[in-house]
Amino acid sequence: MRALVAVASGLVPVLLVVLLLAVLDVPPGETSPRPLLTTVPGPVK
Amino acid sequence: MRRRASLVLLSLAVFFAALAPVLRWYAFPRLVRIPPGQYQETVLEARPATLLRYDTMRAEQVEKVTIVQTLKGNVEESERIERSTGRDVVVWDSLSHVQGPDGETVSQIPGRYIFDGHTQEPVHAPGETVDGDPVRREGIEFKWPFLTEKRDYVYFDAQTRTSAPIHYKGTRTFRGLEVYYFEQTVPWTKVPYPEKMPIPGIDAGTLEERTGTTRWYTTTRMFWVEPATGAPVNGEEIHTEELRGGSLLGGRDRVTAFSGHVRMREDYVDRTVAQVSSQRGLVLLLASHLPWTFLGLGTGLLALSLLLEARSRRPGGDGAPAPGAGGAGGAADREPGPA
Repeated sequence: MRALVAVASGLVPVLLVVLLLAVLDVPPGETSPRPLLTTVPGPVK
Repeated sequence: MRRRASLVLLSLAVFFAALAPVLRWYAFPRLVRIPPGQYQETVLEARPATLLRYDTMRAEQVEKVTIVQTLKGNVEESERIERSTGRDVVVWDSLSHVQGPDGETVSQIPGRYIFDGHTQEPVHAPGETVDGDPVRREGIEFKWPFLTEKRDYVYFDAQTRTSAPIHYKGTRTFRGLEVYYFEQTVPWTKVPYPEKMPIPGIDAGTLEERTGTTRWYTTTRMFWVEPATGAPVNGEEIHTEELRGGSLLGGRDRVTAFSGHVRMREDYVDRTVAQVSSQRGLVLLLASHLPWTFLGLGTGLLALSLLLEARSRRPGGDGAPAPGAGGAGGAADREPGPA
């Protein structure tokens, strides 16, 4: 019985991680205001 | 005491052993994906190149032709398509802007590429185009999936609007990174004229119909792909275009419109290698290092837990009763001897 409780207490935080990942979403950010058409860019800094 | 410690270790062992597959097969696909709002430009050059002068309709050798390849993540469109498809979608609006040696525009080919941000699989939705033509992509374009495999992939060619295998040709080392080398040859194929041509007033849509002159293209494209991120750190193309037949060529059979070995500009190769090197660690951490570490930790803790449990059950242990002790205690029951 104690072993089962130990196994369950190990699984609960993993389940919480799964739930957290299901609820949270990576923010998409915004579309860049930079134009598609650019002149040939200079050297990359 | 040993029994309590073994139960704590068992709990930790279960935690780490269960977390390992969760990280690899649940967290990794959700957390590691291309940001929908990413903007990137790459400059490629062909030095020297053969380029058609449309005023004389003669091909001439020029010092260089430059291609600016821009990819711009369209967040609003990706959210709109996500709502209808239920997938993590990235929409890249792209533009291949080709410039001659004096900076004049040779051609421009815009496009919209819609794909799954983790698997790189194409997602089909209205608006998927190349140069204004609706297309239905199969396979990949621009980037390989995360954890690229040593096998052939299907690659979409924007000029022919078709997909064909791009072959895995071996593992190489490129600027200190282990990369997979892929190569694809597109044989001579008749392709449409770009909507944007170097001569103003030309209607590309009816040019072939009016003149009978057709545009043909062949290329060998090469990519050096970092496998963890699936990002090409270098790309080259040996690219040739011809105009064939019709009234536009003044009786000639064919004229080279463009020919050159197109390579990424050195500063863009440096920047790409630096970016990919910094990202690959994070990808590998979630896909490989943490899951394997946790699995090893879980196994080790389980072994330790079982060991402690076994010791606590042996005569002299502080756990279960020893055989023949006749009581519930073990050593603690036997210790107080007669005075």
